[in-house]
Amino acid sequence: MNTIIIDGLSFALPLFIMAIGGIYCERSGITNLAIEGLQGFGAFCGALFAVCIAQYFAGNSPVPFYLAMLFAFLGGMLFSLLHAMLCIRFKANQVISGVVINILAMALTEFLTKQINASIFGAASNKFVLGVSARITVPVLSKIPVLGAVFTNLYPFEIVIALIALIAWYVLYQTRFGLHLRACGDNPHAVDAAGIEVSRVRLVAVMASGALSGLGGICFAYSISANFSSNIYSGYGYLAIAALIFGNWKIMPTLGACLLFGFARSGGYELVKFLEMPSSYQDLVMVLPYVLTLLMLIFFSKKNHAPKALGEIYDKGAR
Amino acid sequence: MKNKNSLLHRLILQTIGHEKRQHYMIPIFTILLSLIFGILVIALLGKNPLQAYYNLLQGSGLAPKASYAGHKGMITDFTSFLNALTPMLFAALAVLIALKAGLFNIGVSGQMLAAGFTATVLIGYSDLPAVIAKPLVVLIGFIIGALAGALVGFLKHRFNINEVVSTIMFNYIFQYVISFLINTFYVDPVSRQSANVKQAGRLTLVDVVVGDYKMDIPLGILVAVAGIAVTAFVLGRTTLGFEIKAVGSSIRAAEYAGIRVGRTRVLAMMLSGGFAGLAGVTYYLGYFASIQPKVLVSTGYDAIAVALLGNSSPIGIIFSSFLITVISKGSTYMSSTSGVQAEIASAITGIILLFSACGAYVKYKVNRWKDMKEEM
Repeated sequence: MNTIIIDGLSFALPLFIMAIGGIYCERSGITNLAIEGLQGFGAFCGALFAVCIAQYFAGNSPVPFYLAMLFAFLGGMLFSLLHAMLCIRFKANQVISGVVINILAMALTEFLTKQINASIFGAASNKFVLGVSARITVPVLSKIPVLGAVFTNLYPFEIVIALIALIAWYVLYQTRFGLHLRACGDNPHAVDAAGIEVSRVRLVAVMASGALSGLGGICFAYSISANFSSNIYSGYGYLAIAALIFGNWKIMPTLGACLLFGFARSGGYELVKFLEMPSSYQDLVMVLPYVLTLLMLIFFSKKNHAPKALGEIYDKGAR
Repeated sequence: MKNKNSLLHRLILQTIGHEKRQHYMIPIFTILLSLIFGILVIALLGKNPLQAYYNLLQGSGLAPKASYAGHKGMITDFTSFLNALTPMLFAALAVLIALKAGLFNIGVSGQMLAAGFTATVLIGYSDLPAVIAKPLVVLIGFIIGALAGALVGFLKHRFNINEVVSTIMFNYIFQYVISFLINTFYVDPVSRQSANVKQAGRLTLVDVVVGDYKMDIPLGILVAVAGIAVTAFVLGRTTLGFEIKAVGSSIRAAEYAGIRVGRTRVLAMMLSGGFAGLAGVTYYLGYFASIQPKVLVSTGYDAIAVALLGNSSPIGIIFSSFLITVISKGSTYMSSTSGVQAEIASAITGIILLFSACGAYVKYKVNRWKDMKEEM
């Protein structure tokens, strides 16, 4: 039971933070299929920085990890400017822009990883080895029965994510800027009439989405894969998109969707271990989160609706 | 204002300023721009860009290589290029039809896998003679893909489930279930992939001796060309095509015109899935003969970009698939001869798509220049 909660959370939270980024972007009216590419590029920047500075710190020092998170955050933000430029300045089709960013991120990071490994570190390798980040257990809280597992063997990034998610929730729902952002996705003309620049709000939203995706990416790199390689592109970004649509473009329901993915996934693994089935059965169990999602969608998605102006290029002159 | 009348400016206006030609001149213009950009990138890496581009053509059998292995030649390279082109054409068609109905089929890869796997198990491993097996493979591919697509359409229509979510879910479900089935029942212990299908069921004739050459002949390309013709006909000349486009343009207007939106969407998704299925069988029982477990091919995602690059028109995707396949297919030869890494090829693909995504902006700018000039 404890393992299910611990592993489930460590998968669900990075997914959640990427989905929050997606919510920001899509609530401002910009379709974001680029999460997959943004998280990969962010993770690349973070991993590269961590590998570069690793020699200045002791092997078990947590500092490179936190700096890697910062740089993943910035890297994702930087790369998302491309999406913003295409969608806002050049009025490109937002779907194609998202796909382009995924393709570019994959090609660029793979190429640069090889090139940098060869030229700087003198090794023919296509990955940056990062290791798994250390885990912490909160002293008192972890003694609570069942719920205590939430505070046991935490990755430090889970706490960071929880904090950022809280801030993101506050900004989106409780501040003036959040209101403008949500209005941009439903009725950009009204926002414009109120004297606020739609393109600026959307730019910030896209950048937030890139930054949060990058953060999610580096968390996956430091937990599940323990390195940065092209394996980072295994579809978690698309899963985050599914989670946010499942969550009806709202932060709290999206958290629910992410937790569902996480717990169903870790629960499935435990089930295979518990029943002592051969490991190939893991694949079968891995289907659980997705089947569950589809079933739940059948019951709950009647009321779902996307932001009204999602995917539409904002044209001041249009009526 | 003076530099706006420069030679370059006039040249641009004369080539892409003409409104009737813009729908194909602008994509060509953006592709040229991105190829020039690619030249700069390769040159920055210290390699000869023109040679690298020429290598791409050579690798795709569009230009002669310096030397060939026995029984190989330009023509065999070209047929193997067509072999790689076939699934891409189908996948782009799949994306295109869904797009026309205002739906976004991100699950082409999953539908390809489902269709390819079913055809592999039912026909690929059977002892049916080639004459029966090959048409059956095509048929099964289409049916399985169509069923998978129709299910997505049905979920959208009946339960309002966003097709992006459901196709992503189905991608994972197909991927894991099929990987389980392959690893449990059909695995080849050496290659760690599914056991190879028998020649009778394969849609590509392998190592056919023609004259002095041994070539792979992709039969699927004929079906693909037929598919494009049928799609162009259905979309352009039939009621169904009109209804699909109407639903894609405006659901309310379509409803008002008496079009049954739900039915049209399910039908469009069914056709889309069917073509994805054909992409699957031409990929897994044509270009390859086995399925790698736990891997979803990127063709389905690339096809989204290819369809949009081809201006979402059936004829357009012939050219865009051709271009993208030349780059991806030729990249292996390019990296082995000029030492430019193969990843650069996919970066160039990305840049082409990036520039072409700005097509609408180029059009807007050019037309504004034109207006300004007329005012002067």
